[in-house]
Amino acid sequence: MAVATIAQQPDQLYVETRELRIQGFLLFMVSDLVLFSSFIFAYLYLRNSGQGWPAGGPKLDIALAAVNSIVLFGSGATMHFALENWKHGNFSKFANWIVMTIILGAGFLTGQVLEYVHIGAKWSDGIFGASFYTLTGMHGLHVFAGIIYLTVLLLQALQGKYTFTKYTGLTLGTLYWHFVDVIWVVLFSIFYLL
Amino acid sequence: MEANIAHVERALAIFFGIVVFFVAAIALRNDWKSEGIENQVFKLMLGLLALGAILGILAALGVLIGKGVA
Repeated sequence: MAVATIAQQPDQLYVETRELRIQGFLLFMVSDLVLFSSFIFAYLYLRNSGQGWPAGGPKLDIALAAVNSIVLFGSGATMHFALENWKHGNFSKFANWIVMTIILGAGFLTGQVLEYVHIGAKWSDGIFGASFYTLTGMHGLHVFAGIIYLTVLLLQALQGKYTFTKYTGLTLGTLYWHFVDVIWVVLFSIFYLL
Repeated sequence: MEANIAHVERALAIFFGIVVFFVAAIALRNDWKSEGIENQVFKLMLGLLALGAILGILAALGVLIGKGVA
């Protein structure tokens, strides 16, 4: 009886801590959202306070930004497939989709670098340059961190750290990647569509 | 040359934007009845992903273009 209880304990502990870990991670995401929101509202306030916009500012490349955005949104879809395949016990497909996500994330960062080269503006070129580089740079840093995060998750999965019934870490990684995608929806809208 | 590259970029954005939109929409439909706090967040984010895909398509089509955009 005592042996059975000990054998069950990890499962019980897992169930008990799973919700707490997810809630803790969601709180982290909310704090990150507040950070982005502060910069976004500061940018929008300054933009609407100025006379005319952008005053002699750089010209952004909408075609490059559109395709780059779709690359990032596509990575959200591939990450979703990765988690779904893990839930269905298909490790090889999970690994393929998460690798595809990492590649698309790296592709997005490459596109961002191309955009930086293309616009030819500096951080010190007024409100627009400061806001653009701060917000897109901060987002790019999150994407870079996400790439490392997903790589670590893949390595942990390869080492057998997760099972097909216990995979909270993979769920949190997927949440983080979707969060990074959604933040870009907002940034893309305010810089390229407004 | 630059114009040709821009055309290719726009075409890719439109094609893959449609793919991403449908993938997000179908995933949202499949997950609609799932429970748990993380699944509620997933649903919200999949919806926003679909919205982002639509915005990307409209931007590539030239329907939505902001000030200061070439």
